[in-house]
Amino acid sequence: MPAGSIERPVIALDNVSVLFTKKKLLRPVSVVRAVDGATLHVGRGEVVGLVGESGSGKTTLGRAAIGLQRVTSGKVVFSQGETSTDVESAKGRDWRQLRQHLQIIFQDPFSSMDPNMRVFDVLKIPLQAHGVKGKERIESAVEDVFRRVGLPNDILSSFVFQLSGGQRQRVSIARVLLLNPDFIVADEAVSMLDVSLKGDILKIMRSIADELGVGILFITHEMAVAKVISDRIAVMYLGNLVELGPSEAIASKPLHPYTQALLQASPAIDPSLREVTRSVNVKGEIPHASAYPSGCRFHPRCPFAMPKCSDQVPELREVEDGHYVSCWLY
Amino acid sequence: MLSVRDLSVYFSSSRGEVKALDGVSLDVSEGEIVGLAGESGCGKTTLSLAVSRLIYPPGRIASGSILFEGNDVLKLTATQFRETYRWKKIAMIFQGSMNGFTPVFTIGDQIEEVLEIHRYGGDPAARTRELLRMVELDPSIAERFPHELSGGQKQRAFIAMALAVDPPFLIADEPTTALDVVTQVSIINLLKKLRKEKHISILIITHDLALLSEIVDRAYILYAGRMAEVGTAEEIFRDPKHPYTKGLIASIPTLKSTKIEGIAGFMPDLANLPPGCKFAPRCPYAMEVCTKEEPQLKGVREAQSVACWLY
Repeated sequence: MPAGSIERPVIALDNVSVLFTKKKLLRPVSVVRAVDGATLHVGRGEVVGLVGESGSGKTTLGRAAIGLQRVTSGKVVFSQGETSTDVESAKGRDWRQLRQHLQIIFQDPFSSMDPNMRVFDVLKIPLQAHGVKGKERIESAVEDVFRRVGLPNDILSSFVFQLSGGQRQRVSIARVLLLNPDFIVADEAVSMLDVSLKGDILKIMRSIADELGVGILFITHEMAVAKVISDRIAVMYLGNLVELGPSEAIASKPLHPYTQALLQASPAIDPSLREVTRSVNVKGEIPHASAYPSGCRFHPRCPFAMPKCSDQVPELREVEDGHYVSCWLY
Repeated sequence: MLSVRDLSVYFSSSRGEVKALDGVSLDVSEGEIVGLAGESGCGKTTLSLAVSRLIYPPGRIASGSILFEGNDVLKLTATQFRETYRWKKIAMIFQGSMNGFTPVFTIGDQIEEVLEIHRYGGDPAARTRELLRMVELDPSIAERFPHELSGGQKQRAFIAMALAVDPPFLIADEPTTALDVVTQVSIINLLKKLRKEKHISILIITHDLALLSEIVDRAYILYAGRMAEVGTAEEIFRDPKHPYTKGLIASIPTLKSTKIEGIAGFMPDLANLPPGCKFAPRCPYAMEVCTKEEPQLKGVREAQSVACWLY
């Protein structure tokens, strides 16, 4: 099996690349390799954390996984039971059905819903679009889902603008769950929430995977968040997956120098850190994806860079059971 | 240096008076880094706006005083405050301030404008370069436009702008929110360095308790417009007393956490507050007295005080 794949995934991204070409007078002038040859599989009931800085391509990969972003090359396959559908080539009715199975929760609960709509209407529209008609049927579906996400039924008649951030994010989770999806991309779904609410939302997401068997690709820039919710973690840097493995292994024994830096930068509750200048073993900032370096893309920022790193691209390879890394150190 | 005494700020709205802050006191001494934490809507940004005299109708300062170096800034006229305090003595880095630059002027132009408005005596271009170096940016950044910089670079440039006329006091409202983790660490290190080298006092306002635990000398925990707990970083983060503080600290996901925690429920509506302790509806230890009488801050240790009937 190729690096990064698992058996019976619900969604399989195989060797996916997404390139954006900037054109001037119809002539291509530069190419942004947002995702470059990434292979990532998510199983049923599995939460995979996708971690990286802004500009690493994690959102593009997430969008490609549910067909919201066309891929330049590679394959995205959705499997349900024995049937597999190619997400890229699905059209017409197949595509509409696929949309119901593949869902996304966005980062900002303030801009992902019309503030002037009533909560009930926000939830009704997707259901109607997928053929659930009749007020009673919709109401009973909503009730079930509200219990799961911890919302009181009386907010159904409220307007979206009257809700707090935490309530809005629960509504957007409810909106997605109503369609009984098989796979959800959660794109920084808790980043804008207060700490006290974050925990609750993470618990809900975890229960969706555990109890409903939904596969979740959980995109976040916080290593600690990824660690508490995910079964496996994938680390992305400038369009490449640089490390992939079980959460425990990534958190306790990170192999890639970039993963190590992200872990060092992870917040800790430790007042003794006040006395010191915290060092993170990485130089500078992530470059723009149109001007990526040769060889290993991380080498200009890497404290362990060797001559080899600047001209040869390391492959993602398995160094321990299920733990992959693309780095010349291993 | 800064002493906020029994400050109450109310906003009138169609739903009635919203008590954003109710009898809140806070002190910052010279060279001290103090944190003010709480969740969205608890009143923490209102407090920073009150200190910068930026509360406008329908908001009003209902009572209390804000002493800066012994003078009550609430008694000054707007012009007096602008000419002697704002930016000269009290500078502010706003939430999302990295998006606070105008996209059509260079970073240098914008910093020089601040120098000009505050009648800086020396060479503005040289001072701008000096400021950029102070925040560990390349001085050539002055010729660049905001969209050419990364989020972290913009945040540094904004800090440089805040430091333009050497203020002794800096308010930083969510200085690291929306930045990547690696950049967050570098901004925290920068603020620590500024305190050390320039002896500047900093009030950090944030919902990120992990950030506070790494940088502040003392922390204030605000809930629903009232102070829930005060103490040194050691006291608050090693042995929090208020059930709200405990809940907040437990809900921070760290690499060591094995379980996902959260505080159930939502903050009460500030226009329609319950009687008694405002945290009682969400509190796992709530007793009868909690729903009837409001607890006052009570000393439990040297610098630690808590407003809770358990103590």
